[in-house]
Amino acid sequence: MFKLNLKIALRNLWKNRTITAINVGGLAVALSAFILVMMYATYETSFDKENPNYDNIYVVGITYPEFKTYYTAAPFAKAIKQNFPEVESAGLVKEGSFELTIKNGKNTLFTNKILAADYNAAKILNINPNGGLIKPAGDVERLTYLSNESMKTLFPNKKDNKPEMVGFGASNSGITGIIAGSIKNNLHSNFTFDGVSIANELGKNDNYDMNDYTICVQVKPETQVVNLEQKITNLYQAELLKSKAGKRIDEVKGISTFLDPLSNLHLKPKAGNDAPYKTLIALSVLGVLILVIASINFTNLSIAQATKRAKEVGVKKVLGAYRFQLTTQFLVEIFMQCFAATILALILAELVLPNFNNLFQTHLSIWHINNGLYWQLPLILGVITLIAGIYPAMILSGFKPAVVLKGNFSTSKQSYWLRNGLLVFQFSVAVVFIIGLFIINSQLKYMSKEDLGFTANQVVYIKNISIFNDPIKFEPVREKILKIPGIKSATVATFIPGGINGINNYTANGIKANIDFVDVDFDYFETLEIKLKEGRLFSNEFKTDTINSAVINESAVAKYGIKNPIGQTIRGCNIDYKIIGVIKDFKTQGFETAIQPTIYTIKDPCGGYKTQIMLKIEESKMTEALANLKSQWSTINKLDGEDFRYQFLDELYGKLFKKQEQLQSIFFAAAILTIFIAILGLFAFAKYITNGRMKEIAVRKILGASDIQILKLLNTSFFAIVVIANLISWPLAYILTKKWLETFAYRIEMPILPFALSALITICLTVITVSIQAQKAVKSNPVDALKYE
Amino acid sequence: MIELKNIEKYYANKGVKSYILRHVTTSIKQGEFVSIMGPSGAGKSTLLNILGMLEEPTYGEYHFMGEDVTAMKERQRIELYRNHIGFVFQAYHLIDEMTVAENIEAPLLYKKIPGAERKSRIADVLDRFNMVAKKDLFPNQLSGGQQQLVGIARALVAQPSIILADEPTGNLQSAQAEQIMDLFKKLNQEENITILQVTHSEKNAQYGNRILTIEDGVIKEDVSVNG
Repeated sequence: MFKLNLKIALRNLWKNRTITAINVGGLAVALSAFILVMMYATYETSFDKENPNYDNIYVVGITYPEFKTYYTAAPFAKAIKQNFPEVESAGLVKEGSFELTIKNGKNTLFTNKILAADYNAAKILNINPNGGLIKPAGDVERLTYLSNESMKTLFPNKKDNKPEMVGFGASNSGITGIIAGSIKNNLHSNFTFDGVSIANELGKNDNYDMNDYTICVQVKPETQVVNLEQKITNLYQAELLKSKAGKRIDEVKGISTFLDPLSNLHLKPKAGNDAPYKTLIALSVLGVLILVIASINFTNLSIAQATKRAKEVGVKKVLGAYRFQLTTQFLVEIFMQCFAATILALILAELVLPNFNNLFQTHLSIWHINNGLYWQLPLILGVITLIAGIYPAMILSGFKPAVVLKGNFSTSKQSYWLRNGLLVFQFSVAVVFIIGLFIINSQLKYMSKEDLGFTANQVVYIKNISIFNDPIKFEPVREKILKIPGIKSATVATFIPGGINGINNYTANGIKANIDFVDVDFDYFETLEIKLKEGRLFSNEFKTDTINSAVINESAVAKYGIKNPIGQTIRGCNIDYKIIGVIKDFKTQGFETAIQPTIYTIKDPCGGYKTQIMLKIEESKMTEALANLKSQWSTINKLDGEDFRYQFLDELYGKLFKKQEQLQSIFFAAAILTIFIAILGLFAFAKYITNGRMKEIAVRKILGASDIQILKLLNTSFFAIVVIANLISWPLAYILTKKWLETFAYRIEMPILPFALSALITICLTVITVSIQAQKAVKSNPVDALKYE
Repeated sequence: MIELKNIEKYYANKGVKSYILRHVTTSIKQGEFVSIMGPSGAGKSTLLNILGMLEEPTYGEYHFMGEDVTAMKERQRIELYRNHIGFVFQAYHLIDEMTVAENIEAPLLYKKIPGAERKSRIADVLDRFNMVAKKDLFPNQLSGGQQQLVGIARALVAQPSIILADEPTGNLQSAQAEQIMDLFKKLNQEENITILQVTHSEKNAQYGNRILTIEDGVIKEDVSVNG
């Protein structure tokens, strides 16, 4: 019997191949979207999960009144281990933040991230060099391992795992060291690196005021974490008071600690932002929504086919079929379609995956046993078969033979409401996505068009390790650089636009406040084409500029409430700076954060290292200028060595927009998908309704209705559905997009056009889809429809 | 075989009862060939549906082979379909997606008859109806008369004790109709299968041995014919 049912199913699907294709295709598209989301979610939530002690590892963080951080003092790790028996082990890690040059003959490697870890931390975090983790001997020895990729760069022909001698810095620096071996850099971990340096103990002579390290602890299973958290806070406060950090007791009382589980670290670190987590949730909701919509479609389309199957049901019942046998038969049929859709979805997902990986900077693969698909897929297949199939199967198998075998049969009107409701739901979701897409587009357009206040184009940022805090030291370098044709200006600063500035305390106009500072050299504003509002910019001609002159931005003027700022004093770092100029605000931090009040000075003993060189180069001479720089770099900037590394500033700054561009892509895909699926549903539903009204149409035609009148008649109900869907989704889309726009400090006014456009688009698509179906009814001869009466 | 006692069927609409059948009391014995006649809307088809348990009477008693049908559960009724009742329809109602052979096989599948026996029974029936060459065709490739033959073959293959036929020749031309009626008569006489048909045609009614005439839901006449 199964074989026969299977045969019927296949013949039936083939007979209605258009509908079958729509059914399976729509579901496959949605399912592939869902598979991608699921893989992404699995990937994102399973960082470090390979660690055998995953559930028992915590990072110790500190809560200050103003902020939270993972940076703590080294001795505290030891204190925790000694005081609490439930702590199995405590270790220290520190991420190297500066660039290091490692050389082996002609092979050069630039590392950005050398992770320093003590032996305990390496054990806790499962940092296993190839060939196993070895305990360094004594206090001084550091075992340094390079990631496999880095090792390959330095020693392309290396096959064994023996230690190698390398040089650090420029080839003439004479500094050498030993690389103990290589290690796999696990990208699926919170702790990624170009290399690891393992010590027996780190920060041995550190005090409690040197918050340089991150402590990770491994607790015994069944430990009460809340309890331990409290005990660690008490310990920390006690240690702070004991130490020479010089904190007052009321200050210490405001400081507490927290334990952040390893599982939180990637998506929602307590000290950090949980935007990735929110994005993931939003994506998951999106994936589920699309799948639900597609399943609804499936249901609708299957029921639309019901009339054709009614006779079969009636006959089979009369021949002695139980209802459950028919239910099973229909479920199997739907399962087959879902199965086909799943296969198709996998193929689709595989095709889209490269783009997806590119967009989210992941390395997902379908054919990877660890991604959980092997059990998730069958489960989902089962669930959608039930969701999509159970209702049609019940309806179909419930037909009464006496009714369906009479000949002229149409399905009851009771399911009308439900199906209209489903259609409204589908369109509502589609409308929300369309509006969202339009608004995201407008905001992104605004961001690309809006004047940033500075020009990142043709500015080259040179990575450099020599320090130019004294302008006299930079002067010869600038001179040599400017000799190269095409280079218009050169400057050096502590921070580049698009990065994060430093914060220090400055007093002006009797107000004390923490504001951003950037230590610059001459030509900084000229190189970035920042506009002056009043006063003047730094200039070689004024001797005092290198001693106590300051330029501030408009926001700083507003913050301190200074009237006539030029010539006034702003005090910071024990220097009374004279304000010589006010520049117009410019968006160093992109559009999300408001422009911070900022002070620019040349001399700043409390500031950072001026290492970030920026050049403005003529576009037409860009290539030659860069080539010249590269060849002459070792003579221009002797201290940095022979390695010339650069980036274009606009690319760096562009990274601030990456997230928005991701969102735009997601919304684009989602809007297209939901609209596509909703239209498929509408198409089938219109077909079904039109078929059901054939007789009515025939009668109306005989009574003299024109084609237009009939088209209008058929369109009316769908028109109403779309209008209702729009009315429902407008407020929803308004709230959601408003919330999104509010994450920007600089944003567009809420536009009305997207709302009107979404209505227009959905209505047009509906009328077209329905009219195509209705056309057939209109064109048909009334006699055919009335023949069986 | 069939006992009807005071069967009534009506639809209540806004408190007004519209009767389709009233006080129908009759009995049909094993081996009878009964034709139900009457004008359109008299209630013939409803009576047949009630006899075939496709509809329930609003009131009255119905015993099929000594059992009370109104008290039966769905499952028991389906068992009766499987073992005792064969249906033949005016519009044939073959399943379009199945071939002739598969259509005939369908009732046997529900009866859980083993494969080998199914094959022999189908071959048997096809042979008897001279349709062996057509066994792999689909219904829409056959003429109306041939389709009805398949319909009857399907009803017969399960070896029912009664065949209920609702205007079995209503869609056929007269030559084909005669062929079908001859077949019914033969089945009735040679195999002692009870046959109950609804028909409009006086001529077709003569093939049977009893005619029930219904008018406005009431049995007006019940006469024997010597066919």
